[in-house]
Amino acid sequence: MFPTCCRIPNSALSYSSVISSGEDMAGAAGGSNALFCKNMATSLVRKTKLLSMVSSQLNSAACFRNIHCTAACLKNRAARIRVAKGDKPVTYEQAYHPHHIGHRKGWLSQHTSNLQGEDGAAERVVEDVFIRRFMYGTFHGCLADEVVIKRRGNLLLICAVMIQKLLPSKFYFLIGYTEELLSHFYKCPVKIEMQTVEEKVVYKYL
Amino acid sequence: MASSCSQALRHHVCKSSRLLRVHLQKSWTNRSFEGAVCVSSSFALNSAADQQPAVSSPEEIVIPKKKTWSKEAVLQALASTVKRDPTASDYRFQDDPYLTPKTSSEFKLFSLSQESGRNAAKYFINTYPKYFQKDYAQPHIPCLMPDTLEAQIEEVSEAALIERIGMRKVKAAVDLYDQLLQAGTSVSLDVTNQLLDLICFYGDHDPAQENVPEQRNEETEDVQDEPQAKKGRAAKASDLLKATWKEKNNAERIFALLSEPNKHSYSALIRGMVKYGAYSKAFSTYTDLLNSRLKADMHMFNALITAAPEVKEKYNEKWELIVDLLKQMAEQKVRPNLLTLNAVLKALRRCGTVGKSQAFPVISEMKALSIDLSLASYTHLLAIFYKPGAPIQGQTDILQEVMNEVSGKSFTPQDPDDAQFFITAMRICLDTKDMEQAYRVHELLGVGENWRLLGNDFQQNIYYARFFSLLCMMENIDVMLKWYRDLVPSVYYPSSNVMRDLLQALDTDNRLDLIPQIWKDIKQLGHANRQNLVEELLTLMAREKHNQEVQESFAECALDIKKIYDTGDRGKVLLNWTAGSLSDLISVLLAAHRRQDAWDMLKLFKTHNRVPSEELLNKFLMCVKEGGEVNQAVELVQISAGFCLPGTPKLIQRVQQEFELTEQQRKMLSDLEIQSFNSE
Repeated sequence: MFPTCCRIPNSALSYSSVISSGEDMAGAAGGSNALFCKNMATSLVRKTKLLSMVSSQLNSAACFRNIHCTAACLKNRAARIRVAKGDKPVTYEQAYHPHHIGHRKGWLSQHTSNLQGEDGAAERVVEDVFIRRFMYGTFHGCLADEVVIKRRGNLLLICAVMIQKLLPSKFYFLIGYTEELLSHFYKCPVKIEMQTVEEKVVYKYL
Repeated sequence: MASSCSQALRHHVCKSSRLLRVHLQKSWTNRSFEGAVCVSSSFALNSAADQQPAVSSPEEIVIPKKKTWSKEAVLQALASTVKRDPTASDYRFQDDPYLTPKTSSEFKLFSLSQESGRNAAKYFINTYPKYFQKDYAQPHIPCLMPDTLEAQIEEVSEAALIERIGMRKVKAAVDLYDQLLQAGTSVSLDVTNQLLDLICFYGDHDPAQENVPEQRNEETEDVQDEPQAKKGRAAKASDLLKATWKEKNNAERIFALLSEPNKHSYSALIRGMVKYGAYSKAFSTYTDLLNSRLKADMHMFNALITAAPEVKEKYNEKWELIVDLLKQMAEQKVRPNLLTLNAVLKALRRCGTVGKSQAFPVISEMKALSIDLSLASYTHLLAIFYKPGAPIQGQTDILQEVMNEVSGKSFTPQDPDDAQFFITAMRICLDTKDMEQAYRVHELLGVGENWRLLGNDFQQNIYYARFFSLLCMMENIDVMLKWYRDLVPSVYYPSSNVMRDLLQALDTDNRLDLIPQIWKDIKQLGHANRQNLVEELLTLMAREKHNQEVQESFAECALDIKKIYDTGDRGKVLLNWTAGSLSDLISVLLAAHRRQDAWDMLKLFKTHNRVPSEELLNKFLMCVKEGGEVNQAVELVQISAGFCLPGTPKLIQRVQQEFELTEQQRKMLSDLEIQSFNSE
């Protein structure tokens, strides 16, 4: 009876109740108007209440669907590499799933914004995303594992493990460039701590 | 609590009775006999109060002043517990074995590449400043904002000129000044003086921009007096940068345009001339100044004193000119400062014996004017008395006196020549072979902020090279190795000469068993391709016989060295075999009974066209005898005959006597014998 995807405003409800009891109004004489109106009002109120009760029951979750405007957060599939043939090398960080954080894995980004009473968490997240993309692009093909970002006071510490793909002098050039550029960008001292390995450290094959 | 209260009360009673006594004593003389009675009663009270335990002594309790700590006090206290880590490399580098520099050239390469990365970033930041304008920092950090490199004010006005002077744009400022004059606006004397300062300081060139990566990054325009070892490279760099005062440059032109130059303008001009080498012109400008009856200032006098040794030839004349200048300074009531003293001492360095006699009087006069000496003054003093290359005539006490004055004090940089002190002092210690003073100099380096005065990396290398050479010469091997392990390679990368000194020290102290370790260090430092170093190493190893395990380690080391001699990947030959080095290597291998390896090495004689010595072959024969390989013995004789060595007959005889030979071998040997007999 009622349309499925929109609510009915209360003013319309009262109007429909007036319409349904329309015959009485048409034949009303002028003399007994006041009394008639009062009777009308009370019956209107009763009918409105009845109608809203019915509509609210119909509004419950079982009967309604709202519009989705965002993408679905597939929490079951994020940051997990599924078991496959057995020839795909996977690092420790990639092998363990997000529910292992705090148990078998550490945190990749360390700051105090998520504590009680601290603010700025969202800004830190945006900064982290930028820094990770920046490192991925600047040291292209050299990153052996995810970048760990630590904040100590004012200092932003970027800890990265690199493959020994470039000459040390080239690494130092990129380190000096990154530190200087990010310091000027974020207006805080940025330091890079780098460790190198010969090849990517494989934890297992999935 | 109760006791302290009662004590406090007693104190109060004491105090008040004391006060009472004092008051009464004041009015004592006015009082008659009755007053005396009062006083005595109060005295009784007093004595009763005074018979308290010794805690409440008659002195006042002095409550100490509250100590205020600076904000970094805790951090400084924590930092003082941590000493330098001798296993870590410099703080600039990453803590990773792949990224730590192992030789001095790598050190320079890595630090320069890091700097050039920074310059590249600065270039981007200054070229696209709009992405870096958002200011997150509270309080504002000005050094992390992009630089404004372009002048803001475009119109032709005095404010624009001031702005360009502030941004150190020499050519732009001069052009703007000319435009202003052509337009008819007069520029005030102050601004013109600032412009003159700018031109004279930079010598009419634009200063090198730091952030442009293409240009060379040496902006120091001071002339370094200390002769540098790498003369080739340093000479080229300083030739490029050492600008000279050109004949008709902008400074003189603008100066001439001034209607009433004041002493600031003259000062700027003279100082610029002296800085860029136009010494006689500086003096003529000074006479112009005197003729126009203006007074000179201190900076001008300092510059003129610096220029004095350049314009005169003989020592006496130089000194007289300096004395003349100092007298004029006194006449014009200009007070000298530390830089004046240093300029005088530096000039006295070029005055020979006059310098030696006049140095101390000058210092005492300056001290009377309460000028404290800086490290640069001490440097010049040492240089006056200890000329490099001159024989030492028992003047060691001057160094000692200087060290007495200087020990334990922390110096701040006040003069550019302060950085020469440590190098000069260490050179003198090396020349006079004075270990004690060397230790004192090194100790001074650890006091306070003095480490900043050691100079740049190059000067640091010179200092440590001299220190190490002295240690190798004078100290025994344990002390030497202790310093070695402390300083190498975290602070200093020794050169191959220093490694040779170290080997000689090992030899002197009979610790040749440490040679394999030193060889590892030599390889790591990148000196493994130095011919004379490697040959010396081999000679030292081969000279004497040691016990078994030492010989084993020597053999391993020798095989390692052999690998260096073999041709590299692309046929690039690093080292060439000589007869001596080959024989040494073979003797080392023989002493460790590595017969097979030694036999392979023997073949190399032929391939590299070297001739083995007799004693080597004798030694080889002895070894072969121990092994009992008859074939090898015969082959040995054949090799010897192949080289037509004079000792071949003796060798044949020995083989015939000591070995059991088959018929064929006997025949071969007798043939060889006849052959060698015939050839003689």
